[in-house]
Amino acid sequence: MALTLLELALYFGLLSVVAFGGMPAVMPEMQRIVVEVKEWTSPVEFIQLFAVAQAAPGPNVLIASLIGWKAAGLAGAVVALLAVCGPAAVIAWWVADLWDRFKDSPWRLAIQRAIAPIVVALILSGGYVIATPDGTPDWRMWLIAAASAAAVLATRANPLWMIAGGALMGALLLS
Amino acid sequence: MPVTPPRTLTELFLGFLSIGARSFGGVLPWAHRVMVEERRWLAPADFAETIGLCQFLPGPNIGNASIVLGKRWFGVRGALVAFLGLVALPFVWVLALGAVYADYATVPLVKGIVTGVGAAGAGLFIGTAIKLGRALARNPTALVLVAACFLAVALGRVSLLYVLPVALALAIVAARREWL
Repeated sequence: MALTLLELALYFGLLSVVAFGGMPAVMPEMQRIVVEVKEWTSPVEFIQLFAVAQAAPGPNVLIASLIGWKAAGLAGAVVALLAVCGPAAVIAWWVADLWDRFKDSPWRLAIQRAIAPIVVALILSGGYVIATPDGTPDWRMWLIAAASAAAVLATRANPLWMIAGGALMGALLLS
Repeated sequence: MPVTPPRTLTELFLGFLSIGARSFGGVLPWAHRVMVEERRWLAPADFAETIGLCQFLPGPNIGNASIVLGKRWFGVRGALVAFLGLVALPFVWVLALGAVYADYATVPLVKGIVTGVGAAGAGLFIGTAIKLGRALARNPTALVLVAACFLAVALGRVSLLYVLPVALALAIVAARREWL
């Protein structure tokens, strides 16, 4: 139990500092650690915890709490949430002032331009990994994901509509 | 429209509490509504700049925003209070929803609905990535970088701890040479 809490703190703390592009970008790595390395959840459970976090109000970082809860109960939920937010918060605390000071520095501009394509690739990978939980494509999952992606691109509707559409399509196709 | 930052820690806490409590479908629009429109803590341009910084930093974007803004207004106590306000209610709700779900997880209909929601969430990510990627579509270096990272992370399942340093180093070199 204490060991599990320590592992949650370590792994989620690590995820925190590499999460360029926020939680979506770090989903492939989170899935790899939680499902493949530590086996805290099965591949299907992982996508279901992700879905619960998506459907509940609040920042999507709360998937960390659900995984922590699954691995080590309430203490695990608290530890995982603090671990995934803490290190990034410390960085934000220090960088916020520096960032203004280097407003016109060529290095700041180079870093901004460098990070953009990496973030795009990681968020795309996050979507792919979640829509392909076992590593083998399932056309029904891909159809729902494609419909929701198309809705994001074509409309400015609240994402809650895409979530509701996914629930409906899931009831029809996946149950 | 005059802008007045929160005057007390209680006000700061309640503001972030109402952001966290109401943010169905994504926190960003609610953060804007509460801080810019309802409470007028920030000017729109100031909000956009703060969010821009937090999207660039690693970690949960809106969590980072609570730290940066809390620090600006009340120092370390502000950062802690804003963060706790933001996550307090969502933390309770997500665990409650998780507990309810666990009771019905074996019902095929519930399982289908929840898996469908997960797939729709994946679609939200893919749509967002395509939106962000449009700005890069005419840059061959950026496209090669996107394809290489996707192959390594999504298909190869290589750890981000290897991919990120390599990709970042190559991308910064490319950006310094004006290829990006």
